[in-house]
Amino acid sequence: MPPHTSSVIAELDSLTELSQEMTRRAQGRGAFLVWRAQARRIASVLVKSGRVEEVATSSGSGHGVHAMTGDGRTALGSRDEFLAEPALALLDRTIDAASAAASLGVDARSMASLEPVVARAVPPGVDAFDRIDLDAAADRLGELQRELSGRVPGVNLSLSYQADLDAWRIVRSDGTDVLFAMPRCVLRIAASSSGDARHTVGASVSGPHPALFDDPSTIATLLARAESAARLACLLPDAPSHPAGSFPLVIDYALAKGLAHEAFGHASEADGFRSSILAKDGRFRAGEHVGAPHVSIVDEPKADDHAWQPYSASGGKRLRATIVEHGRLADALTDPWSQGGSGCRLTNADRAESFRSAPLPRMTNIRIEVDDPLPAPGRFEDYGPEEVRDLLAGAGVLTRHPRVVFLSGYSGGQVNPATGDFVFNCKAIYALTPSGVTLHKPAIFSGSMFGALGAIREGFGPLLLDAIGTCGKWGQSVPSSGGSHYFLALDADPSVRLGGR
Amino acid sequence: MRTPRSGSAGVDVDLTRLIRALGAVRADGHAIAGWSVYVAETRRASVGTKDRQTGDAHAPLTLAESLTARYKLIWDDGRVSRGAMERRAIERTPEPLLTASRAASFPDPDAVDVLGPAAFPEVATHGPAAAAVAAGGIEAFAPRLAAIRERVARHGIRTWSGSMHAAEGTSRVVTSSGLDIGGRGTSTGWSATFDGELGAGHTARDVAPLVDLAGRLDHLVRFVLALRHSAASPREGLLPVILHPDVVEDYVLGVLLHNLDGAQVAHGTGAFRREQFGAAVPVLREDITLRTDPLVPMAAGAYRFSQEGVPGSPCTYVDGGRLNTPILELKYARRLGLPPTAFPAAMDTLFLEGPASVSYDDAIAATAGGALVLSVLGVHTQDFTSGDFSLSAPQSLAIGPQGLNGRLRATISGNVFALLRAKDLTLVRFPGEHTPGLLTRCRLDAA
Repeated sequence: MPPHTSSVIAELDSLTELSQEMTRRAQGRGAFLVWRAQARRIASVLVKSGRVEEVATSSGSGHGVHAMTGDGRTALGSRDEFLAEPALALLDRTIDAASAAASLGVDARSMASLEPVVARAVPPGVDAFDRIDLDAAADRLGELQRELSGRVPGVNLSLSYQADLDAWRIVRSDGTDVLFAMPRCVLRIAASSSGDARHTVGASVSGPHPALFDDPSTIATLLARAESAARLACLLPDAPSHPAGSFPLVIDYALAKGLAHEAFGHASEADGFRSSILAKDGRFRAGEHVGAPHVSIVDEPKADDHAWQPYSASGGKRLRATIVEHGRLADALTDPWSQGGSGCRLTNADRAESFRSAPLPRMTNIRIEVDDPLPAPGRFEDYGPEEVRDLLAGAGVLTRHPRVVFLSGYSGGQVNPATGDFVFNCKAIYALTPSGVTLHKPAIFSGSMFGALGAIREGFGPLLLDAIGTCGKWGQSVPSSGGSHYFLALDADPSVRLGGR
Repeated sequence: MRTPRSGSAGVDVDLTRLIRALGAVRADGHAIAGWSVYVAETRRASVGTKDRQTGDAHAPLTLAESLTARYKLIWDDGRVSRGAMERRAIERTPEPLLTASRAASFPDPDAVDVLGPAAFPEVATHGPAAAAVAAGGIEAFAPRLAAIRERVARHGIRTWSGSMHAAEGTSRVVTSSGLDIGGRGTSTGWSATFDGELGAGHTARDVAPLVDLAGRLDHLVRFVLALRHSAASPREGLLPVILHPDVVEDYVLGVLLHNLDGAQVAHGTGAFRREQFGAAVPVLREDITLRTDPLVPMAAGAYRFSQEGVPGSPCTYVDGGRLNTPILELKYARRLGLPPTAFPAAMDTLFLEGPASVSYDDAIAATAGGALVLSVLGVHTQDFTSGDFSLSAPQSLAIGPQGLNGRLRATISGNVFALLRAKDLTLVRFPGEHTPGLLTRCRLDAA
């Protein structure tokens, strides 16, 4: 019996004739073509306060025509279907627009020399996205809601499930033909306290399989995280604010992902090198010392990860990029259009939200690694603030610093790559001392990327890279992920501050 | 049968097949008893600039055509399906998608309302100049790009990034209850960020006169130049602070709209409880009003009908500090026992009013020792439910007795509801800005 084929993949597979016709037309007009066909299916369920509030499905497909004329000017056309006649007309209009772009002061640009690639990366089991039982998903969310309400009474709970299969076929006029599919499924819980002063705290887990809501290990992790979030939501209204200032810090792996993503990842994206603080005169400052010598930052697609993307939006195989190698800048995140001037190798880091979007160099799964991390036995979810304090005390950190501020949970961040200013926020702050633990409301964590990376002293535990998020660079939302060791300890640095009351 | 006019900017979206299928489809033995479909067809032209390079591969000249539909189906057993469909399904093969949508149906008794014919207001939303650009007349971008480049050169701006766009589209709502309403609209806008520090922009229904763009750019340049010099010895503590209209829109109004959302109210997950709406007890200062008016001609937020077919009409959410109504789509209107409301489709149709207002110059004069916060980082990281805020404000300007007094890298913190209840809250009129700035007091710390 032949294997099941996902309808999304079958749709992209059926485009060979059209892709060849598009390529011939582009070549006939003297243009280089990157043709991106995308097919995407999303199904979602939302349960609030114990009742199903939303079950929705959506599908979208279309193609983007990225044309570069012989004189080096580009334009992008897009249309949401795959009919040949309008597709070819769109290609003609796009090439015409690129040819006329000089009137807007558009400069001619060159792109990196590329080798044709023919490849396919479709994880097994994506056909399951055609058979998702949304009734079962809704029932499961309801069960989880009841379970959590029993564990932590008095909170309002919102639970959601989303299954997203995002498949692309990239064809270039140099013979490249790459097809890949990115399965992403997420379970999220938001817990809100129910008093007069309300706080909301969230938790999530992700995986590539639509049936993750039936996976015992995944659900155990979700419940552990969600219970902590719900308890925190109940406690935060009465928690005091924390004073502003620079402090010895401990951050968890999700915040470390935020630090790596916001502080260093964006500044190493080569499309911004004409203004990035990590570049000079448009070239990456490779080799320069930017952090402690036992600290590295690595970005690469990880199998089964939320932000996994094996090939770029231009059809190149995405490479591992060691952005910071033992404290020194090494690789940048480059694409065929930015690599030439960057002084760095091509890492094929371009991604796009949709066929309508111009691809940009950006991260996938980014992590901070520390040489010789100290042990942190057990699961990450086993560590509450008291356990973190014990971990620090055992490693002598509380001897070095009698008061350490523990930032727990990541709730998003932002960076200005031109100045190196970054911010991110946590879900809670705990002041850890030898004598106790005190909860405070979350506060913004901001400062200089160099100060933050230079302040990292110890890592605790194995790498955990499942902190997920959405990156919104230049108005395009793509999944992001990453992490670090369970916990990182940072010395106080005057350029890195906690906001305050 | 008519031929679909794809690429017609939606002037004549053909729904014949879709409407026929809605009446004929059966799935698992069930027929569709009621339905509502919102269709939008758009064409758009845009160009970006990244670090002074206009139209490079990362911000190219872009031409886009799209046709999408959102649907709600009420099956004959009362289950409801919602979803989105693409051009192919709308124009040629709707049956497979409609049949498959049965598998995504669920009981949702509050979502069964389907609107019928109504009286719809007239409001101008279409601009011929914007339509011409959307159709490919991109040369209209040229003088605007030139105006930006001229200021960049004249003021020694190191770099700039931004974008310009124009779009034209048609939307239509059709329901099984006999509603069939359509309309045509355009939009155009630009944005520019100087030195990677501070940006400005504007969105409207038609191409604004060049003088409008020039005025906004000159205000931006003034602040960017002021940020180049550091403040001498910034103060910290509870200080008078002016929040720029961009900060008010991004954060203050963002928090209010989040908590006014009907779903948040219905589920008890927002800051406001159901029983507070219509009650006599104010939740904000007793002179604060927050309202929307989607009938402002040629406003970016102007509209005749919502995606559900609710006629556009003015609506006051907060009246004299008291909660009047949440922002309600049909489902949560039914659940909360209130009529559906208009929603603010853009900031130029949202009005924050009430407290005394002063001119920008008078506000600066009254804020000596404080700061002007031009933008903030980290808005999306805040807990909008609690209203607690802790925001990085690296683009702030200290204010001295003589006015703006150099750059201040700061964090600001407090609670937004407390700010909106404070006696000393003052609205600040910024030249060219629809939304007022706020003169208030909050914690400010040097970063």
